[in-house]
Amino acid sequence: MIESLHSGSFFFHPALLFFLGACVLPFLKGTTRNIFLIVLPLTSLVVVMFLGYGSYAHVEIAGVDIVFGRVDRLSLVFAHIFCLMAVIGSLFGMHLKENWQHIAAWGYVGSALGCVFAGDYLSLFLFWEGLMVTSVCLIWLRGKEESLRAGFRYVMVHTFGGLSLLAGIFVLYYQTGDISFGAMPEGVGLAAWLIMIGFLLNAAVPPLHAWLPDAYGSATVVGSVFMCAYTTKTAVYALARTFAGHEILIPLGVAMALYGVVYAVLENDARRLLSYHIISQVGYMVAGVGIGTEMAINGVCAHAYAHILYKSLLFMGVGSVIAVTGRSKFSELGGLWKYMPWTFVFTLIGGLSISAFPFFSGFISKSMIIAGAMEDHLMWAGLLLTLASAGTFLHTGLKVPYFIWFNREEPLFEPPKSEAPWNMLAAMAIGSYFCIMLGCNPSFLYNMLPYPVNYHPYTPAHIMESYQILLFTMLGFFLLLGKLKPKALVGLDIDWFYRRGGVYFMAFCRNVPAAIDNGFVTKLHKTFFLPLLRLGANFSNWNDQKVVDGFVDGSANRVLRLSHYLRYIAQPGSMSKYLAGMLTFLAGIVVAAVTLALL
Amino acid sequence: MIVQIITWLRDRMMLVKAFCIAVLALLLIGDLFVPRPHPHFLGDIIPGFWAGFGFIACAVIIIGSKWLGTAFLFRPDTYYDDIEQDRKTSPSQQKNQSTGEMK
Repeated sequence: MIESLHSGSFFFHPALLFFLGACVLPFLKGTTRNIFLIVLPLTSLVVVMFLGYGSYAHVEIAGVDIVFGRVDRLSLVFAHIFCLMAVIGSLFGMHLKENWQHIAAWGYVGSALGCVFAGDYLSLFLFWEGLMVTSVCLIWLRGKEESLRAGFRYVMVHTFGGLSLLAGIFVLYYQTGDISFGAMPEGVGLAAWLIMIGFLLNAAVPPLHAWLPDAYGSATVVGSVFMCAYTTKTAVYALARTFAGHEILIPLGVAMALYGVVYAVLENDARRLLSYHIISQVGYMVAGVGIGTEMAINGVCAHAYAHILYKSLLFMGVGSVIAVTGRSKFSELGGLWKYMPWTFVFTLIGGLSISAFPFFSGFISKSMIIAGAMEDHLMWAGLLLTLASAGTFLHTGLKVPYFIWFNREEPLFEPPKSEAPWNMLAAMAIGSYFCIMLGCNPSFLYNMLPYPVNYHPYTPAHIMESYQILLFTMLGFFLLLGKLKPKALVGLDIDWFYRRGGVYFMAFCRNVPAAIDNGFVTKLHKTFFLPLLRLGANFSNWNDQKVVDGFVDGSANRVLRLSHYLRYIAQPGSMSKYLAGMLTFLAGIVVAAVTLALL
Repeated sequence: MIVQIITWLRDRMMLVKAFCIAVLALLLIGDLFVPRPHPHFLGDIIPGFWAGFGFIACAVIIIGSKWLGTAFLFRPDTYYDDIEQDRKTSPSQQKNQSTGEMK
């Protein structure tokens, strides 16, 4: 069925819809705007469903072929989930009176779609930077000083990644003369590394990951719901497009999956905990790209699709709690089950999905990557990823719901009067629907994947294995609950180097080089260079007055004296002297004439 | 509706616990009867392997991470806010430096 939908040659760039929509949005108000907020993303979803395979929107700039519309199965599965997520996210933010967050969010979605359909590196780079510019607005719109600072850190880190990508593109163009965005050609060395660093930074691979919890923990409630979906998954798409089968990505991805889990234990802020689990989940995808078999790439796409749905659901759940209570720290929350029960149920569904419970969406996608690893005889990778998935359930499935909704009989603060606004609950309900629907009906997703799927997640052995791992993890959680009590602490991460390290560096600069400057250099200046300069100045002064001026003045005096003499002779100024002169001259002529005549 | 269900369950905590333990036990017993046509790993040979794996994984993650945290990584959560304080108290040390006379 899906094949027949895409067999035509229809093309309209879905990103254009979002960019135009973002321009129209400021002029709309009230119900019209609310309808528009839902209709436009829905339209984009329909457009994506009817796009024909092929390559469209070619523009030639200075002999370079720029392709804005490359449509194939890999780009379509990502475009599909990006548009679906835009529907959910826009609905979630519908209660906002002001439009700025929606404008930034749509610009962000448009940029992500631009990346997905880009057929060359230059247009990819254009939209890649667009992602950064629009998403930083979603951080700054929170309006807190902390968000302002986090936004600047976000910009600086992503500028580094973007420049690395751009440098890689230039080197690639220099080496091969080709900048089409596809599987990385063999033996390009430096270019491949630079481009990979750019991609890995956006995918938040340690040690290039610390921007993620920093930014997503500081963004607006609606902003973080959008942000958790697009930036990292666009990077996963770019990696799957260019670096499928690059084995270095396997250990990186596995390390990432575990890194996120370890840090999630240390985290006290709900959104930062979820952010560390994005790192962990994207680790599965990066490892899947590294494995690179058809099964693994299918798993990567399926997991990205499912991940966007359940992670946004989790961010919506926690975001609703923040919107209603203004708190995001586990040490301050707890006891909300009586006051926000629906939010609890939806968040729990998100938690069960990310933990890969059978009949929830994570089960049908995550296991594909693990099975891809096992099939490729990477037993260690499969086992470590399974270990990480136990950790995922531990935190997102158990710790988040338990410490927000239970743990205390009553909240520490004035309990909220009502749940989140209806639109937030509706958005969460849609997200929950898709999480359960994908889990129960995997073929909906499997039909969209880039390669034919030959995988059946629902075997008795697999279900049994999953339930054992998950429920015994739960047993461990409740036995070790005392160790998990939240405390008002933060765990140091790589961002220490530019947050605290930067301060130390400034202190170092103030103390060491400045001290050397003030002490030694100033003294040297006073005792040696300044006298030397004075000596030179005195010499040039003397030289100026005596030598140069003497010469100049002397010659001037001589000219003056000569002109006096000349004036005295030529222009004496008295009539008698003129007459005498003239007569003498005439007499001279007469004498000369007579002399000549006589001769 | 949900609040009633949760209240009902919370009032019968012992029952819930007993039910959970029964489920765990059933999982272990059920493992003996699950068909495994192509065993390719320890988990397919030893019954209850994955149960042990899950439990140990959970313990290792919690205890290991907590140890890392208390040994190296934990700071009070105002740690980064103190930076601003540092910056405000630091003296600005710009001095006008006299230069030689120029003519």
